[in-house]
Amino acid sequence: MRSNVFKNALFTTLYCTLFSFPAFSEGFLKKGTLVENKTSRLLYTHDLSNNGIFMEYQAPGMPDKKILIKGRVMDSTTNKGLAGVSVEESGTKNGTTTDANGNFSLQADAQGLLAFSSLGYTTQTIKVSDYTADANGIIEIKVLLANSTDHQLEEIVIVGFGTQKKASVVSSITTVSPKDLKGPTSNLTQMFAGRIPGMISFQRSGEPGLDNSQFFIRGLSTFGSGKRDPLILIDGVESSATDLARLQPDDLADFSVLKDASAAAVYGARGANGVLLVNTKVGVAGKTKFFFRAENRLSSNTENFGMTDNITYMCQSNEAAITRNPLGLQPYSQNKIAHTQAGDDPYLYPNNNWVDQLLKKYTLNQAYNLNLSGGTRQFQYYISGTYNIDNGGLNVEPINDFNNNIKLKNYSLRAKVNLQITKTTNLMVNVYGQFDDYNGPVGGGAQAYKNIISSNPVAFPAVYPATLLPYMNHPLFGSAQVQTPDGVATNLYLNPFAELVKGFQVYKNSTIQPQIQLKQDFGFITQGLSFRGMGYLRRYAHYALNRSYSPFYYDALIDPQTHAYQLRALNDGGPNSIDPTGREFLDYVQDGKDINSTFWLEGALSYNRIFSKHEVGGSLISYISDFESGNAGTLIASLPQRNQGVSGRFTYAYDRRYHFEFDFGYNGSERFASNHRYGFFPSFGVGYRISEEKFFKDHVHFVDNLKLRATYGLVGNDQIGSVDERFFYLSNVNLNDGGYGASFGKNTGVAPYSRNGVSISRYQNNNIGWEISKSLNLGLDLTLFHNLDITVDVYRQIRSNILQPKSNIESAAGFSVIPSSNYGKATSQGIDLALDYKRNFNKNFWMTGRATMTFATSKVNLIDEIDYPADLSYLSAENHSISQAWGLIAERLFVDQNEVNNAPVQFSNTNLLGGDIKYKDVNHDGVVNADDMVPIGYPAQPEIIYGFGASLGWGNFDFSFFFQGSARSSFFIDAEAISPFNINGGYQNGLLKVIANDHWSEDNQNLYAFWPRYSGARIESNNVQRSTWWMRNGDFLRLKTVELGYTVSSFKVLKQKISKPRVYVSGQNLGLWSSFKLWDVEMGGNGLGYPIQSVYNLGFEINF
Amino acid sequence: MFTLKSTIMSNKKFNFPLVMLLQLSLLLGSSCNKYLNVVPDNVSTIDDAFTLRNEAEKFLFTCYAYLPHDGDIWYNPGLETADELWVTLASQIHWQSAFRIALGQQNVSNPYFNEWRGTNKGVSGSGNTTSRTIWQGIRNCNIFLENMRDTTKVRDISSVERAQWIGEGLFLKAYFHYYMLRMYGPIPIINENVPVDGDIQSGYLVRKPVDECVDSIAAWLDEAQQLLPPIVSNENKELGRITRPIALAVKAKLLVMAASPLFNGNADFSGLKDKEGNMLFNTTYDPEKWVQAQKAALVAIESAEQANFSLYHYENDRFNLSDTTRTQLSIRNAVTEAFNQEMIWGNSNSYFVNQSACIPPLVGNQNQDRGQFQGFLSPPIKIAKLFYTSHGVPIDEDKVFNFNNYNQLRTADDSEKFYIQSGYTTARLNFDREPRYYADLGFDGAIWYMKDGNLTGSDQNTFHVEARHDQVATSNTFNNWSATGYFIKKLVNWESTTNSSQAPAWKQYPWPEIRLADLYLLFAEAENEVNGGSSLAIQYLDKVRERAGLKGVVESWTKYSNNPIKYTTKEGLRAIIHRERTIELMFEGQRFWDLRRWKEAPEVLNQNITGWNLEGSAPADYYQETYIYGQKFISPRDYFWPIGNYDTRRNPKLVENLGW
Repeated sequence: MRSNVFKNALFTTLYCTLFSFPAFSEGFLKKGTLVENKTSRLLYTHDLSNNGIFMEYQAPGMPDKKILIKGRVMDSTTNKGLAGVSVEESGTKNGTTTDANGNFSLQADAQGLLAFSSLGYTTQTIKVSDYTADANGIIEIKVLLANSTDHQLEEIVIVGFGTQKKASVVSSITTVSPKDLKGPTSNLTQMFAGRIPGMISFQRSGEPGLDNSQFFIRGLSTFGSGKRDPLILIDGVESSATDLARLQPDDLADFSVLKDASAAAVYGARGANGVLLVNTKVGVAGKTKFFFRAENRLSSNTENFGMTDNITYMCQSNEAAITRNPLGLQPYSQNKIAHTQAGDDPYLYPNNNWVDQLLKKYTLNQAYNLNLSGGTRQFQYYISGTYNIDNGGLNVEPINDFNNNIKLKNYSLRAKVNLQITKTTNLMVNVYGQFDDYNGPVGGGAQAYKNIISSNPVAFPAVYPATLLPYMNHPLFGSAQVQTPDGVATNLYLNPFAELVKGFQVYKNSTIQPQIQLKQDFGFITQGLSFRGMGYLRRYAHYALNRSYSPFYYDALIDPQTHAYQLRALNDGGPNSIDPTGREFLDYVQDGKDINSTFWLEGALSYNRIFSKHEVGGSLISYISDFESGNAGTLIASLPQRNQGVSGRFTYAYDRRYHFEFDFGYNGSERFASNHRYGFFPSFGVGYRISEEKFFKDHVHFVDNLKLRATYGLVGNDQIGSVDERFFYLSNVNLNDGGYGASFGKNTGVAPYSRNGVSISRYQNNNIGWEISKSLNLGLDLTLFHNLDITVDVYRQIRSNILQPKSNIESAAGFSVIPSSNYGKATSQGIDLALDYKRNFNKNFWMTGRATMTFATSKVNLIDEIDYPADLSYLSAENHSISQAWGLIAERLFVDQNEVNNAPVQFSNTNLLGGDIKYKDVNHDGVVNADDMVPIGYPAQPEIIYGFGASLGWGNFDFSFFFQGSARSSFFIDAEAISPFNINGGYQNGLLKVIANDHWSEDNQNLYAFWPRYSGARIESNNVQRSTWWMRNGDFLRLKTVELGYTVSSFKVLKQKISKPRVYVSGQNLGLWSSFKLWDVEMGGNGLGYPIQSVYNLGFEINF
Repeated sequence: MFTLKSTIMSNKKFNFPLVMLLQLSLLLGSSCNKYLNVVPDNVSTIDDAFTLRNEAEKFLFTCYAYLPHDGDIWYNPGLETADELWVTLASQIHWQSAFRIALGQQNVSNPYFNEWRGTNKGVSGSGNTTSRTIWQGIRNCNIFLENMRDTTKVRDISSVERAQWIGEGLFLKAYFHYYMLRMYGPIPIINENVPVDGDIQSGYLVRKPVDECVDSIAAWLDEAQQLLPPIVSNENKELGRITRPIALAVKAKLLVMAASPLFNGNADFSGLKDKEGNMLFNTTYDPEKWVQAQKAALVAIESAEQANFSLYHYENDRFNLSDTTRTQLSIRNAVTEAFNQEMIWGNSNSYFVNQSACIPPLVGNQNQDRGQFQGFLSPPIKIAKLFYTSHGVPIDEDKVFNFNNYNQLRTADDSEKFYIQSGYTTARLNFDREPRYYADLGFDGAIWYMKDGNLTGSDQNTFHVEARHDQVATSNTFNNWSATGYFIKKLVNWESTTNSSQAPAWKQYPWPEIRLADLYLLFAEAENEVNGGSSLAIQYLDKVRERAGLKGVVESWTKYSNNPIKYTTKEGLRAIIHRERTIELMFEGQRFWDLRRWKEAPEVLNQNITGWNLEGSAPADYYQETYIYGQKFISPRDYFWPIGNYDTRRNPKLVENLGW
């Protein structure tokens, strides 16, 4: 017996509560909820299409009638059977999963409901009673499940501390498909640029372990010295950028970027710079599924800086020695140059090509990822393991028995277990371990690159043959005493080869992170109420050490008669030995150690109900966190860092057309005095889905979805100031500072009676409070022709209360540190744009395309700076971008000394000549100095990041490519680092080809040459000032990734079905278009470091 | 809070969600405010420095810690910024900020030796003294004084000791102001600290007129001297602490400076006014200032003599040294012997650390490592010319000795063997000079007596200098060599251990901030200004000359000078006093300040720096006076440091010095 008892959810709830139906099944709102007590039994259904919510009444005491149901679950588009689909009888523990072909059989109540659910598909519920049994009393059914991604409106978006239906989201949240983050790299952050609208991202180094891209959500929005990068939450755990970098796309379930105030408000204290929310996959009930992927990558530098040949090096070194001082000593004799050119003897006339001697052309890396998942209705698991090996591109000769090349091995293990403890209680336990093992040269890989450019190529050979001194156990490295224009210095030339092979550095990082989460449905109290509690511990440990010997250096002494040569030890500890003395055995140096511990606990109470056309949702979240460092160094730093907060989200939607949202965060931070300790950060949002309006639906057919969104709100940031400036409300006094002591008394040596002194590194300041971000976001979601999704967000964020040292504190006040105040204010604004196109043309041909553009600018509105007089107003940072650079305006090179003598004195330099850089005296005060620096160029961080690409599938083949670009940024060439022939200790710079070919010289008095007049062994400091001379445009477009894959049909191996193994080739950073040619332009000013890598990859993946 | 975790673990079915809810409400509640109070009560604050004597003593020592490190040439603004010594231009590593001022590169945008802001001082990266400012020292003195004067604090100190410490704090506060006044002219007077969270606009400091600065500093010194002990009672623990004679001596230096032409009626600075238009220099000459100075110097001398200070004489000779050498040791040790009887104020927190920069490799020494015997502090020839002849008169006044051809070659005979290596050929300039010439300077051919110059310590057959091209102290391979051919012997302690294959062990000594000879000369100067041609002034000059092995002024001038009555006039005696003071305090960092306060700098510091020809091997080639650098002193700009854009732009009420 069935009848509709209620058509209104509110009454349903009231009824259930009043007549105490205690047993609830999970998800009260879901269709098919069955509630019963001793006397009656209600089946709850709702059917929006039919405009109503139904309670179906069944007479009490009616015996259960079980019936066998057999069926097959299929994909609605491909009509292929779906394996592992969960089939559950609603309201009971009864259930099963489909087999490999999608078949299932289940005994179920004839009046019951069956729910079919699977990840990536929209859950579907059927009524058993709608089907009729066959002669054997068996019901046969076919179920078609629709791919949930095809139904964007039902898509679930992860939001702060929960999920929301995409249709009802009003804030600016970008979700990225994990597929789009897949590339031939073991560093996930390298895939961000251009793929995530709203994120400014760039990579400055390609060194394994240091190759994280930097990323900022909507660019930089504060100029404070505190935290400026986004909050990263992986499965709700606050994580580092390196944790994120190590994540495997295979393990990713969701990747969301929360960009505006409404999205981030619930994170209160931590959300001001945006939030990255990443969830990893969870287990799905069903047979155990394996996934395995292996990749082998060939990696090489995108570009190497080009050094000139050594004959040119020597000739131009001679030129440099006399260009400023006609009587200067030329370092290389014609004899040496001639012998070197003739290649007479590589040891007497060394001719090193350090690039070839120290670097490999390419290196090979491997990556493996394995995961398995499965389980039952009560118990699901997901376990994944990753092993990546990234090698450096250093050329290591087998001169020692240890390997100096960079090798970064990374292991991670993630185990997630879900337990359905009761019908309404779910417990999840995650354990995550992440381990890095690094081995590399002392000083790191970037240093090896820097050594290449700063080592003399002709003064000594890398190493002499061991046969020359057969009784010596150690390598016979070459070097010589540094020759300066003043004579012979007391130190030796740096031998980059010896530096590279003399020892090795090891570091190990470990992160262990157990996490526990409990979900409880409180439907029995009131429908739609649930609770979630989550806690985790995180322990991080890092240690580093290095072992090295001190190389023995030799130079060759030529016998004038025989022209034979013999080796002379330069640092053997004898009478004329030069420090440091060589040492054959390894020495050990303990390096940095870092141990820290995090504790986190959060609880969330949520309520979600639909009352007819009203959708109501709310959640209250409370959390506490605690971070402690085991090697803090000071008492203050050792104290735990704590946050505490309450936040909430309240949503209301009417008729799926009008959406309202209110969010808040109420947070406490231990950093502030009690009057500023708590901050309240509210935000509001509205959304309007025009496409749900009747007038729109009926007339505009090519638009499937059109939604307008607007949010406005506040978010806070307590991570301001440096790490040492923790407790602004406390003075920081060292009552026993050895640096501030004094000594007295008479003794034969120094004064015998000494006491330490007192130093103050912070004054008490109760007025410091939160940095606050106010942001307005206007968004538009549009779906056209079923296939094209367009999302546009424009925003303006005003960051205020930025902590700054007070500018008008004069020295005579005698403060040992300058007090700070919450003063600064900056605006950032921009546009995020995303276009997504998906189309299945036919069964065999599909295509997706994606384009994004992020434009983010910033402007300093208010900065605590000195009042510049009107004629120096250009020194003010106000109204410029947060990362604006100031520099001199280089007009051209000086024509001759006469022009120098009649020009303003530049930086008190009285010895400039023709060919030196001439700067503009902007304020016309007759001298060029720091006051003549004007804002030049674009900011250091690009203001525009864009990307576009497409994927095509045709039969078993798939092909994808992605271009990524960057615009509106400037950088400066580090002129000092490439200044040829410059001697700095044992370093003497080499000569870049571009300088050799294009510099000012007496013969080539080009006033716009790339390089000014040579300076010889000492840099002419005038020419390395920050100026437009060295400024370059950072724009580029690069072919970021290309992938071609082939999927093999499923086959069986040893009775085990291998479903659709796929092999693919892919590449990263394959092409680059830029006006800058010296090095990979994306590295910017870091161009002499470890280059960004081009990668060619061969991979395969299998499921079974 | 933590029960929640255990609840999760307990895994009981239906109860714990309720418990959890309870916990949640707890979390939401304000009772958790304590959770954020992570700071324990015992975190140190400034109040903790003034609970016990033991802690307060550290604060007192902190005030001392801000005393300038005058015993390090890179931190002594007086030593390297004038023409007293030069360094080679070949190596930029020696071009430290103080020397760049001597090179004429001082500027307003980023001043060198910027004491006001505490930047651009010393050797880059050498220790933490660079970032300290005198102003911070003053701030600490004020904190110290405020707390020590409050008798409810530091309850376990005796009232006598409390008074003494207050006296020391007051002195240091006064001395720091004096130090800044000397460098910058009129300065803000910080009698009370600017509050940390005060209103910035009203807290802007202004420079006070010179007379007001002098009066304030003098008043603090007067108050301090009454509280300070006449002598230190425990030499082993307290030598170097401030005593009454030190306070009185500093007051004498302050008042003599204030009476000098630079500060007393100087019309050159009439244009220096504060933003309200008040003149910072009094342009009316006031002879009473000299009277006050004279009195203060006399009081200081009396106080020092009562405390048993007297001019140092080398006695108790154990090495059978010649009289010549003993006189030299009297001169040298007055500076280099730690806390000798003449050293009124030895700075125990700044020992002289640059002995290796003074001494070159010497003939006779088994260690000739240039890295350890750098000898790059180079007195120019104009400094060598300043010293008297052996008759005790200037070289251009001596009736007997003719120095017109000062680079003429001459070979030393045996009678000169304690000055110049017997039989060695050197320049005329190096012969027939007063003992201070030989005690202060090393030069090509000079004897350089050290206690370990030979096994017996005798002054016969001991070290000498050979500095021509390709000799041991030559200039060829290393960056460290004398730019002029002269070296500073005066600052090298004769008991340093140098003659061994190991690195030298320098016998360091506290930098002599004030010694009795300085006071005598100050008194003579003031006395002459009050009573021109005063015989009392000559009496004090002669005490200094006697120790230097010279006859008195009257006898010397009458007998040997071609201007024999010079001392009878105020102007004549003034010139004699200035010259005497310059010679006696040579290489002690006084000349730079004296030239300024006498307003002699424009004349003296526009002369060229010269030295011998370092490329010369033969004496005839070597002894050619060679141009090194053309120094420039722009008046009145260079009398005072530029405050610098950093501070004048931060404080709109702060006026920059003239010319900058």
